[in-house]
Amino acid sequence: MSLVVFFIAAIAAIASAVAVVAQRNPFVSALALLGNLASLAALMLLLEAQFVAAAQIIVYAGAIMVMFLFVIAYVGPKSEIGAGDRKPWQPVLAIVAGILIAVQVVVVVFGASFGEAAAVDATYGGPGAIGAALVTDYLLAFEVVSVVLFLAAVAGVVFGTGARPRRLTADEVLVKEGESAEARRRAASRALIDAARPARTGEAGR
Amino acid sequence: MVDGVILTVVKSVVLASVLMGFFAFMTWVERKLIGRFQVRYGPNRVGPFGLLQPVADLGKMLQKESMIPEGARPKLYLGAPLIAMACAIGAFGLIPFGNVATIPGTDWTIHLYIADTSVSLLVVAAIGSLGFYGLMIGGWASGSKYALLGGMRAIAQLVSYEVAFTLAVIGVIIQAGSLSFLTIADAQTPLWFIIPQFLGFIVFFIAAVAESNRPPFDLTEADGEVVAGYHTEYGGLRYAMFAAAEFINAITLSALGAVLFLGGPNGPLLPGPLWMLLKIGAFLFVLIWIRATLPRVRFDQLMKLGWKILLPVATLNLLLTAFAVVYF
Repeated sequence: MSLVVFFIAAIAAIASAVAVVAQRNPFVSALALLGNLASLAALMLLLEAQFVAAAQIIVYAGAIMVMFLFVIAYVGPKSEIGAGDRKPWQPVLAIVAGILIAVQVVVVVFGASFGEAAAVDATYGGPGAIGAALVTDYLLAFEVVSVVLFLAAVAGVVFGTGARPRRLTADEVLVKEGESAEARRRAASRALIDAARPARTGEAGR
Repeated sequence: MVDGVILTVVKSVVLASVLMGFFAFMTWVERKLIGRFQVRYGPNRVGPFGLLQPVADLGKMLQKESMIPEGARPKLYLGAPLIAMACAIGAFGLIPFGNVATIPGTDWTIHLYIADTSVSLLVVAAIGSLGFYGLMIGGWASGSKYALLGGMRAIAQLVSYEVAFTLAVIGVIIQAGSLSFLTIADAQTPLWFIIPQFLGFIVFFIAAVAESNRPPFDLTEADGEVVAGYHTEYGGLRYAMFAAAEFINAITLSALGAVLFLGGPNGPLLPGPLWMLLKIGAFLFVLIWIRATLPRVRFDQLMKLGWKILLPVATLNLLLTAFAVVYF
């Protein structure tokens, strides 16, 4: 039973991963990535990691991919990538990186010895065990990650909104209004002078 | 899986069928109630008290031509209602209707839930969040600006209210000390969580109304602004599937409210499933009541309510609960 589920999930994971890069339309690519994340969640369930599987769906599928799709749908079909946009060195780099990763995978898979599956008790992978690990053994990493994420959120807001003009004080508003009134007066008088001037030669010769 | 594969499959089929029947019945209840709220009769022509109205509606939907609008992406367009519907029914699958029951006349026992895991609540939230994709894909793949805008609105609204919703629910989780529905329901034996978690309940309820896209938060299908939102281009049974998904989501959220705040299937005298039905019915009645009473909010009001009021209140509730659990 679990073997059947494993093969279905594994094939779905690989197929959707291929679809992510093969699809031309970014919206469809993002949907394929969603399928990939769901298949990975199924694989995690097989590894007794219920909490991580549920969190994977909630965080990645429920929040992050929604944002991806949101942006892609807003940007629209113009963002579809044509073959002409490729730089000549990109395929070369991609192939080199792919070969490196493949070698790494092969080394790891054939270098490791797979014994019997480790025995786990009923609470393994549940929210209690994960929570206890997070706030005891990995407390520092956990807190550091939360600070980093907070910084990222603040930075996102700062960069995303750009340099906003600050709110002016009452005095500055008066000065600005005075300047603009002055500028308007000048523009008006310049327009009057232009209108009073004789027509330019280019126009007169027509 | 508590009972093995075959019994689980049988239970799932039964649950899905009962849920669809309940949905059909509830559309009749909703129309009837809204009729009464508006001092008219509501459906009363088909069958006694208009009870067969859902059957007539289904017959009408079945006769509609199935068509794909120009500019749509056919596969995604056809698949979106399926995603919405499958996720809506799937999310309901973890709701417990009691613990163990003995079949009368025999000594067979049967679990009144399909599965109860240590992460049930998270699984419901996960399946529910996948359901949003039905709306989004439907809106995007229709190739229509109103559908796209409706889908975008749906996502913006759901993402905004998901945060407050989750924070409100975490209060319950901390007090019960578990994510399993059965444990949460049993933790409420002396006192329903609606009393100690009242702030959380208020946030939960408002966010639940918003998440099920029901009035006054039905901006995704505000007819004056985006025609019918993400399902503008859908007709016939596919439209019916979106409508069913939306209502079943409301039923699921009502069931969640019943389990998290009203003690779930526990109650005196009556059996568990009946208590669950009563509690779900109470939630649904209030939802319909609100629909008949309140006008639709504006989008900026919706966002302001979600981020500036519900989120801080839910956070306060969470902090208070954590403080109370640790120090009392």
